[in-house]
Amino acid sequence: MPAIELLTFGRGGVHPDPHKESTASKPIEVMPTPHEVRLPLIQHLGEPATPIVKKNDLVRRGQKIADGGATGVPIHATISGKVRPIDKHPHPTQVLSTAIVIERQAEDPGELEFPEDPEWRSCSAAEAIARIREAGIVGLGGAAFPTWRKLQLPEGATVDTLIINGAECEPYLTSDSRLMLSQPREVVEGALVMARILGVSRVLIGLEADKREAADALREAWAQAAGAGAVVARPAGAGAAATAIVLGVRACEVRYPQGAERQLVAALTGRNVPPRALPIEVGVLVQNVATAVAVHDAVRFRRPLLDRVLTVTGPGIKHPCNLRVPIGTLIGEIVVQCGGISDDTTRVIAGGPMMGRALPRLDVPVIKGMNGLVMLTGRGPQSRGYGPCIACGRCLEACPLGLEPDQVSIRVEAGRPLETQPYGALDCYECGCCSYVCPAERPLVQFMQVAKSALRRSAAVKAVA
Amino acid sequence: MSTSPELVLAPGPHLRASETTARIMWWVNAALAPAALWGVFVFGTRSLITLGSAIAAAAAAEWLASRALKRRASLGDGSAVCTGLLLALTLPPVMPWWMPALGAAFAILVAKMMFGGLGFNLFNPALAGRAFMMASFPLAMTGAWTAPRAGLTAHLDAVTTATPLAALKEHGLAEAMKLIAGPNAWSGLVLGFRPGSLGEVSVVLVALGAFVLVARGIIGLTIPLSVFAGAIASTALSGAPLLHLLSGGLWLGAFFMATDYVTSPNTRGGQIVFGLVIGVLTGVIRMFGGYPEGICYAILLANALVPALNLWFRPRRMALVGSPS
Repeated sequence: MPAIELLTFGRGGVHPDPHKESTASKPIEVMPTPHEVRLPLIQHLGEPATPIVKKNDLVRRGQKIADGGATGVPIHATISGKVRPIDKHPHPTQVLSTAIVIERQAEDPGELEFPEDPEWRSCSAAEAIARIREAGIVGLGGAAFPTWRKLQLPEGATVDTLIINGAECEPYLTSDSRLMLSQPREVVEGALVMARILGVSRVLIGLEADKREAADALREAWAQAAGAGAVVARPAGAGAAATAIVLGVRACEVRYPQGAERQLVAALTGRNVPPRALPIEVGVLVQNVATAVAVHDAVRFRRPLLDRVLTVTGPGIKHPCNLRVPIGTLIGEIVVQCGGISDDTTRVIAGGPMMGRALPRLDVPVIKGMNGLVMLTGRGPQSRGYGPCIACGRCLEACPLGLEPDQVSIRVEAGRPLETQPYGALDCYECGCCSYVCPAERPLVQFMQVAKSALRRSAAVKAVA
Repeated sequence: MSTSPELVLAPGPHLRASETTARIMWWVNAALAPAALWGVFVFGTRSLITLGSAIAAAAAAEWLASRALKRRASLGDGSAVCTGLLLALTLPPVMPWWMPALGAAFAILVAKMMFGGLGFNLFNPALAGRAFMMASFPLAMTGAWTAPRAGLTAHLDAVTTATPLAALKEHGLAEAMKLIAGPNAWSGLVLGFRPGSLGEVSVVLVALGAFVLVARGIIGLTIPLSVFAGAIASTALSGAPLLHLLSGGLWLGAFFMATDYVTSPNTRGGQIVFGLVIGVLTGVIRMFGGYPEGICYAILLANALVPALNLWFRPRRMALVGSPS
């Protein structure tokens, strides 16, 4: 190891066993066309999409099937086939939600054609945002915020740095890492498209130091893009001179939650995002690497977001892999594709094991923001209940924000959640470090959630009164 | 496809560090074992009675209290055994069996369970038990110290004697050193062939246990080092800071009692103040107080400061540190 000091965030964090070895070296495999896809109308933050197809319509892969409305994004058919009756179906995060189900037919007409726009590098910011919106792109790192809205800065905000988040700090997950290795040019070009939209002249790609090969691939792709003359920023002010975009690939310490927006901004720029504010407050915008690839496809080919890469892994799955699947594929079909899950599997986690959700059933679809499926075996935390706080202080050391989960938890336990504000309940973004280290197995994140919702409710009541 | 197994719906995070309350407590017990066994070796098998009755009484009291209060059985978390063991290690090696039992029962029932059980006690239960015994059985607690084996081969006799600290207080340094077997007095003090309470005599073995806990990340060095700093500072004037540092329960107290999670502050600033207060109070009590030994009361007094220290020294909020560049 060369003795270079890795970038990292200021305080707290934990070092869980990365568990990435079973998929880190496996190239992305492509899932064969599934029997059906279920595309929930709500897969993003914003209003649900409105269907523009009806029962028994034949649709082709890539065709728009639902309109995005004023705040959402449209939805596209991710396989070709026949539309089933539009009805409520199980949803990974919302129990039941209206979804468009497409059934594969005997003959497959294939994907719509998306020819390259030869002028794509010089397309205007407004046009690029329109293409990104039309492609149905949302933040693919997990938050699923519509990308076209994120790229439209609010009045008065200025951004000088675009950060591309390839940290992938969650244990087990390797999909972003493999994507950077297989499509480094798309990552870089997508980042450049967004940099031109924003008018920023600095792009930083942050990854954890265990992704050395991905970092090399990105640097090489950057050199090629620079050779192709793609790296000129167009400042927002009319008439301002175009400046060159500077790109840096930065290695960060392997430390959870390095990939959390706030922590990555601190690690790469030294800037501190205030509580509950967005990174644009300090002049930074953060986008995930998979989002960058989708942006590239949308602007260059007007190709909508149809697939995403998932890491299917964990001790419970027979063949762990990185899999490119059509959005809407049922988890059950993916499990079959990966050889099935063992009988001692107790939890199927959508996302990473630190912040992901346990799924109640396997007949839910992959949605846009889902970056992994982790099959865990054995007893989970808190399965035997939890003990009293022994005031060991581990959660105070682990919290990357310097909050006091111990104090919040004992107040919530005592039925006094409204007294938790001084201990930072509202600032918590639920990274899970506190619960991870708690020797009493206390569900500190959930105590934080209870405190947060009680505080918000009381604030809302006060606002009405 | 394998048939879908029963899936558990649990909130995240779905991984956790391996440390649990019970593991921590049993590691503390294990780390104390060498010092305890050394005490038994040096003071003879009769000291097993003190050790056994304190541990058994603490465990019984915990079991009874959790039954009576209809709480989750907490015996398995090891904290009651830890309290009994720690109490025994602070006692004279030989005393009537019911005295340690009573002290341990007081520690668990009054100092711990009445405050709400594990996590809620204000004072270190083992030391509260010892303070209770000091008040109840002053003679047995201070008068009759068993003379140690003089060396590995020497015959063990039942002569009672004074501890080095008591001798220092009554007669001065020379007398204190004479107590500790002849020419290699300092090594006797370090190795543990000297009069004293059951678990304090071998500084080396106490330090070994402490090293294990530090290496496992169970305790930090902030509190113990602050205790030592405070003790050295306050006893420097006495002319025998080294004797003070190596004797009395200072090491046992600094590494195993002052570091009790529940009754110590949980941020570094608070821990430094807490440790210094203990160290200084120990020296002051030893030099100017009525007792030759001071760490027990010093820790109990500092325990009372913990809620205030936790209020004064809070973690620094990330976003409030510095401003955006």
